[in-house]
Amino acid sequence: MESAKRSEALREEMQLHLAEKAAELEADGMTVEHARAEARRRFGNVGLKQEESREIWMSRFVSELGQDVRYGLRMLVNKPTLTIVAVLTLALGVGANTAIFSIVDAVLLRPLPYRDPDRLVRIFFNEPGVGLRDVRFSKPELDDLQTRAGVFEGVTPIYEGSEIVTGAGQPERLDGVNGSFGYFSILGVTPQIGRLFGPEDFVPGFAEKAVISDGLWRRAYGADPNVVGRTLRLDNDPLTIIGVLPPGFRHPGPTVSGDAEVFCAFGMTGPPFPKPARGTRNLVNGLGRLKPGLTLAQAQARLTAMAAQLRQDFPGDYPPQTRWTIEIQPLQETLVGNVRPMLLVLLGAVILIVFIVSLNIANLLLARASGRQQEMAVRVSLGASRGRMVRQMLAESMLLSVIGGAAGVATAVGTLRFVLRFVPSSVPRLNEVRIDWVVLAFALLISILTGLMFGLAPAFHSAKVALSSAIREGGRGSGYSTKTGRLRDVLIVSELAFAVVLMVGAGLLLRTLRDLLQENPGFNPTQVVTANIQLPNPNDRATDPYRDVPHRATFDRELLRRMKAIPGVELAAITSVLPSTNSNPNAVGGITNEGFAIEDRPVESLQDLGAERIPISPDYFRVLQASLLRGRSFTESDEDGKPLVAIIDESTARKYWPTGDPLGRRVRFRRDATKPWTTIVGIIRDIKSDGLDIDGAPHIYVSTYQDSNKRLSVVLRTSLSASVLEPQIRHEIQSIDPGLPVFGIASMNEVLDRSLASRRFSANLVGGFAGVALVLASIGIYGLLVFMVGQRSREIGLRMALGARPADILKLVVTKGVVLAAVGIITGIILSACTASIMTSLLYGVRPHDPAVFVVVPLLLFAVAVLASYLPAWRATKVDTMTALREV
Amino acid sequence: MISSCRLRILGMGRKAQKNDSLPGSLDMLILRTLSLRDLHGYGIVQYIQQSSQNGLLVEEGSLYPALQRLELNGWIDGVWGVTSNNRRARIYKITATGRKQLAVETRKYAKLTLAIARVMGAE
Repeated sequence: MESAKRSEALREEMQLHLAEKAAELEADGMTVEHARAEARRRFGNVGLKQEESREIWMSRFVSELGQDVRYGLRMLVNKPTLTIVAVLTLALGVGANTAIFSIVDAVLLRPLPYRDPDRLVRIFFNEPGVGLRDVRFSKPELDDLQTRAGVFEGVTPIYEGSEIVTGAGQPERLDGVNGSFGYFSILGVTPQIGRLFGPEDFVPGFAEKAVISDGLWRRAYGADPNVVGRTLRLDNDPLTIIGVLPPGFRHPGPTVSGDAEVFCAFGMTGPPFPKPARGTRNLVNGLGRLKPGLTLAQAQARLTAMAAQLRQDFPGDYPPQTRWTIEIQPLQETLVGNVRPMLLVLLGAVILIVFIVSLNIANLLLARASGRQQEMAVRVSLGASRGRMVRQMLAESMLLSVIGGAAGVATAVGTLRFVLRFVPSSVPRLNEVRIDWVVLAFALLISILTGLMFGLAPAFHSAKVALSSAIREGGRGSGYSTKTGRLRDVLIVSELAFAVVLMVGAGLLLRTLRDLLQENPGFNPTQVVTANIQLPNPNDRATDPYRDVPHRATFDRELLRRMKAIPGVELAAITSVLPSTNSNPNAVGGITNEGFAIEDRPVESLQDLGAERIPISPDYFRVLQASLLRGRSFTESDEDGKPLVAIIDESTARKYWPTGDPLGRRVRFRRDATKPWTTIVGIIRDIKSDGLDIDGAPHIYVSTYQDSNKRLSVVLRTSLSASVLEPQIRHEIQSIDPGLPVFGIASMNEVLDRSLASRRFSANLVGGFAGVALVLASIGIYGLLVFMVGQRSREIGLRMALGARPADILKLVVTKGVVLAAVGIITGIILSACTASIMTSLLYGVRPHDPAVFVVVPLLLFAVAVLASYLPAWRATKVDTMTALREV
Repeated sequence: MISSCRLRILGMGRKAQKNDSLPGSLDMLILRTLSLRDLHGYGIVQYIQQSSQNGLLVEEGSLYPALQRLELNGWIDGVWGVTSNNRRARIYKITATGRKQLAVETRKYAKLTLAIARVMGAE
């Protein structure tokens, strides 16, 4: 700005000069052109002269800046301890911010990696009247969305499921996605090899074609460029590969365990699909692309209107009390909405940490600035301008923040892969995390902000130092001047307050985690080893050795016989889903949310009553040591052809039989009038089947010999470890069928632990930061008091000479620390009380204003603060009276 | 700090001054001119040429870097004003430190010319 103005003035001056010269020459009788040319000739090179003039200004600026930087560096080198502490804490603060922000950026901020991602929506069918969200839908309803609603370019249902790939080596289980033939055009993907599904592939049932991921292509086909046309055996079905997806492509949704690698398509109108009917709701996970130019609100309004019309047109299919309706949500929101609170809390924590770090450094610098008052005063009196002094001080702080920031970014870059390993895999889009320009810009911004934050206070302080007073105070070291003192007090108080906020947050998260770890899962998880098996699900049922319940029962019995025969295994049982596995209810296999009807009770909803149906073998509750409250367990004779039996848990009993006795009552699954009734024969204590932090979901257990799934897990009660048993388990299962993939062999405790991974991660991270904050805050108080004692040693010496006892001196100093701590802690408590409710969604069993946390945290911090004040106070009592007095 | 910085600038241009028989003499001539009256750039050139009876030919363009330097050193002060023929121009005036500097340079110059005269006379 300044330099631009100067350049402009210079240009104007030179123009004037040339004009005047030319005028003079003209007056001497030259022609206009000659006069101008001559004036230019005598002036010399205008551009060059301008440059020379500018250089004079620039060289001054550059040389001053260079001086500031050199001087700053010298100061930093002269005080190595301060420099090291500052750079290390800054590296921690900036590094943590960079790492967490890179995750936040990839997961929450960056648009999804599809064409026009803002037009992608998840479609939910809801029944608010009976409190159900995301219920299944039928093919006619899907057609309504596509043709009648007029808001979608395309819609597809999505089944996420496990697929078994057989061929060379171990059979592999991998994640697959089944969608309509429009799935890829909705997402807007171009293949790297071959082609993707299109309308020309349409078949009523499953297409015998597959698209594979880049990963599978490289792993299983050695990146063969001629892979198109080769056959992939998926669940025993031969599928022709028609294309390979680009490397960055990820299915936008939860999958069973990892990234989807096989993509198949179906027509939904022919076998194995039932005949399409409005009431046959067999589809899940609606995904759609809005037409261009439509806002979300417009589309939503049209869908709401269409739903109302459908309810009117087909009253038989939409009972009025369900208030069936359609809802759309941006896909990005669906994908990342559930991890947003955790990530934002983490980001908040790292920002607090960087605040605390910079307040701490500000304090250190201010202490040093006070020691340099005299130097500053001398320089000002020798003609340094105030601005120049501020610049000098800022240059030092900026130098610190740039070094610290660079160290922080380097730390983040170096450790990001390592850090990511601790991030729970339930966080989506982790593969997109990288340190890019956005992240670097954020790191730079944070560094500069912290530099300004900790640099401005000492800078303005030193500029304000009244010359006269500082010089007058002479070489004897000025006393603890009130002005600096107050500024430092404010810094310490804010530092403590931020530390309290962080510690309260950590306290709440840690308490939640501790409560969950102590939570009774409803069974005894120790000495239980688990393994998962996936049975193939071929499209051609005739080739399926596990096609129906009797066939699967034979397999189950053989499996249990072999498991029990493994030395060291006391008991073995089968379940369709392990407790606390973060299951995807819509996945094929695994846990299934089943609609059922109760005998002699009217149906209220399309989904009937809901409960999770879990097929188990008779010994399941014995293996888990879960307690049967009433009735009986299943026996070997609860098999196909015998009366159907079920065991419910307490939650189901409470929910559906709040008054009567459920034992002996009958229910019918899937509201299918042709199906026989199932009799409830027992009630079991609740087992946390959906995760330790999910309460009260109703479950109905059925006998695996009467009703079973393709996904199953074995549970073994044994004193041996999972790793010891693993080869034998694998061997025994594959001696029944070498084509079966066995995966996830682990102890039950590990399985339970995994369900807490995300909570553990955030609690440990925030807890770690809180620890750092505690240390920094105590260093802050300690440093302040040490400095104060040093500055007031004369006064202390004098007091002691006049008869003050050491206890008085102790009190003098400790009181200062205690008062600061109290003010900081109270401020922090108020701040926490205002902000704690942000964390509600991350807590379980702990209220955001948990009294224990709000008492323990301040007490802990207070104790540390007292300790940190005591040391300098004790040192103060050792002040040598004579030395101190001689200095007066 | 500050003074060392100024000294460095006093040490002057890294480039030799063209058309100056004696390095630094242009600064002295400008200061001298401005000590008599406030002038704008072209006026200074005119004055130097006239008063030297065209004996000194200043490369006119060199005047401006020199003016910038003098102003930066606080020896002269430029403010926007109006020339005798009513045109907007920066009018320079000498400052108190500028006058001191002029005295210093004049003395140095006198010593130098005397020394040179001695050498030349000795031949």
